Amino acid sequence: MEGKQTHLAWIKDHSANLAAYGGVVFCVVFFTILTPMFGESIWSARKLETLMSNVIVTALMSVGAVFVYSLGNMDISIGRQVGLYATIMVVLGNSTGSLVVPILVCLLLSVVFAVINGATGEVLHIHPIIPSLVVMFVLTGVNSMLFVNMNTRNISLTSMGHEIFKSPILMLVVLVAEVLIVSYLFNFTKYGKYAKAIGANQVSAQQSGVNLIKYKVIAYIVMGVCVVVASVFQMGYTGAAADATGTGFEMNVMVALILGGMPLSGGMRSKVSCAVVGAFTFALLDVGLPMIGIAARNTYIIKAVIFLIVVLITCRKKDGVLPR
Amino acid sequence: MENREVLFEVIHMHKAFGPTIALKDVSLKLFRGEIRGLVGENGSGKSTIMSIAAGMQPPSSGEMRFKGEPWSPAGMVQAQRGGIAMILQEANTIPGVSVAQNIFAGREDEFSRFGMVNMKKMYQAADRVLEKFGIAHIHSRDTIDKYNFEDRKLIEITRCVNDDTEILVVDETTTALSQQGREILYKLMHDMAERGKSVVFISHDIDEILLHCDVVTVLRDGDIIDHLSREAMNAPDAAKTIRYLMVGRDIGEKYYREDFTPSCQEEVALELKNISFGPIRDFSLQLHKGEIVGMGGLSGCGMHEIGRAAYGLERLEQGGVIRNGKEIKSPLQAIQSGIGYISKNRDTEALILNGSIGDNIVLPSLPSLEHGTFISPGAEHKLADREIEAFRIKCGSRKQYVSTLSGGNKQKVSFAKWSAKGSDVLIMDCPTRGVDVGVKQAMYSLIEEMKAQGKAILMISEELAELIGMADRLIILKDFQVTKTFQRSPDLKETDIIEYMV
Repeated sequence: MEGKQTHLAWIKDHSANLAAYGGVVFCVVFFTILTPMFGESIWSARKLETLMSNVIVTALMSVGAVFVYSLGNMDISIGRQVGLYATIMVVLGNSTGSLVVPILVCLLLSVVFAVINGATGEVLHIHPIIPSLVVMFVLTGVNSMLFVNMNTRNISLTSMGHEIFKSPILMLVVLVAEVLIVSYLFNFTKYGKYAKAIGANQVSAQQSGVNLIKYKVIAYIVMGVCVVVASVFQMGYTGAAADATGTGFEMNVMVALILGGMPLSGGMRSKVSCAVVGAFTFALLDVGLPMIGIAARNTYIIKAVIFLIVVLITCRKKDGVLPR
Repeated sequence: MENREVLFEVIHMHKAFGPTIALKDVSLKLFRGEIRGLVGENGSGKSTIMSIAAGMQPPSSGEMRFKGEPWSPAGMVQAQRGGIAMILQEANTIPGVSVAQNIFAGREDEFSRFGMVNMKKMYQAADRVLEKFGIAHIHSRDTIDKYNFEDRKLIEITRCVNDDTEILVVDETTTALSQQGREILYKLMHDMAERGKSVVFISHDIDEILLHCDVVTVLRDGDIIDHLSREAMNAPDAAKTIRYLMVGRDIGEKYYREDFTPSCQEEVALELKNISFGPIRDFSLQLHKGEIVGMGGLSGCGMHEIGRAAYGLERLEQGGVIRNGKEIKSPLQAIQSGIGYISKNRDTEALILNGSIGDNIVLPSLPSLEHGTFISPGAEHKLADREIEAFRIKCGSRKQYVSTLSGGNKQKVSFAKWSAKGSDVLIMDCPTRGVDVGVKQAMYSLIEEMKAQGKAILMISEELAELIGMADRLIILKDFQVTKTFQRSPDLKETDIIEYMV
């Protein structure tokens, strides 16, 4: 009986992880069994490539966003940042003939946005989502002005080939590298530990010697760098940028993290694995559902149902307060 | 005694939180017209029983009977409507709305017609309630945020108790109240008992229990150890007997410091130099190595703010906080120069409740565990385990969440943070708030040990007894000004001090 109780407690404690991992495992098993019946298996080389290209941008962004979400914050300027970075990479890439300069420029910009998004909330005592909303609007304006000036809605990289960015192997290598680096920062350095502490109790973190502004900004910088990496693949896959590039990406990140079991309030239960699990769950549904003959227009409903189930399990408050 | 009417009964109740057993097979009868004291160490299960009775959580097994009927409330509101109301230790009011809305939260229907709440009617009713309880200085139309902790506590009491209340549970409420507030509560408790209702009084203050209860039940480790009748409570060594029953061993007479000569080293460890901020003007204090400076007064006298300022948490208009010749302007600088701070708001400021014991203990020490940027989990675990062991924190492992610990064990975690960091100056704001005698005794000897090691301690407290018992020098504040400084002495009495406080 005792043993059973501890098992139950363990399951309760880990329900969020179980639901998230359960979701991705279920999708894998489900599509592995069903897709061959409809013709092509999801494990075919071609489909794996599709899957990888589908997951890479969201996964790269979400892994970095774990830092910001662990603060209990979210950044809704991500999508517009991707749009701007893609544009810069195409324009500067064409004029300089390489991607080195544009990537450096983007990294610099990402730090600027990180300072704005991370610090202003704390300094001006406003909800941290507000500065990111402002950045989003500003970037939307900047991006559309750029395209109006260029008199087009779509620009392409012409000075160099971009085939390399279509390689699923490269995608995998970069993703693995990013996950390893971010996991190290998140779990084995004070940057991640402080971010989690801030998310769990900002006042307590401050009284324990955490410089709130500094470590919030660092969390946003980690995310910003990851967004730049994601932008490289976003732009590189098509070799182009458009005025609509990146639109709605911040929602993809949010959905991926929630599907992966990330608590929206941040704190100690935040994990890098949430980003990877969530992004793959989402991409599996995206690629798999049409393969088993479900019309694209119906996939949203199915995704919504799955999303709802995961959220019901992971995001329910389970603070059974124990009286003293 | 047995022929009196049983109002409430707990039969073979069992409660477990995961692997932790909070109550084992407890049975308890509550009679009409009695004030029942419940005492026990933190985590003994005294609050757990009554929180189950008041509908805050279900039991793992066992049953309850209330007025002869089976009782299993689905929630606190239902229990309150049924007649069992519980007043808790921590604040439980709704911020941002009026006093009246707080008093009648969940009962808006009584003032509603066609779905619209008649606010005028509600304010009038609230004013009547406030007057009935003798706290007419609180106005029903004001927003609740205008009132301090004590007033909010009193408002909460008026919310819990109405004519239908049969059982009132007072859980550690008095620690938040001044003498005046306590009198209001005591009067309410005796009134209820006289009207044939029943009161359960949970407190760590044994003197208070002895003074007001008709019978005392002692719990230890989730078990009822004994009941003491009024006669037994009148015995001269009753307090000692109760302490013995609570702890399960003789904790001895030693409680506070036994020496009565003020002592400290020459060297100044921390200096507050003519600091001014908010209502505090030109306050100075020198804290020496090996010295315990006590700071006392009523809760609004400014002592808590001075404690915060000494840790760099307040923006000073004038003057400075100086340690080792350097000015302290932020908690980070304070920690780096070896200062630790234990906030009086344990659950909201001192600790990360939704974090493990280990994470909490090592948080201030992370910079010193770094090799380059790498913090080895092994080093973290070692440090956390060392402190858990040293403070004998009752827990399954360092991975257990702090939210699941009892009050005393939580407080041990907040001490352990600074012990792990090796801080030389400690600012402790109400370090023994909500902590039972056994843990209190342990904390006092710990503080004494720190003094012997040459650490400097600023002890801010609302309990005069512990200030007199521990401090080398005792500073009394009133209305943000120092009214008197006492040196440690065996003749120092609470009555000498109170006149400088009020």
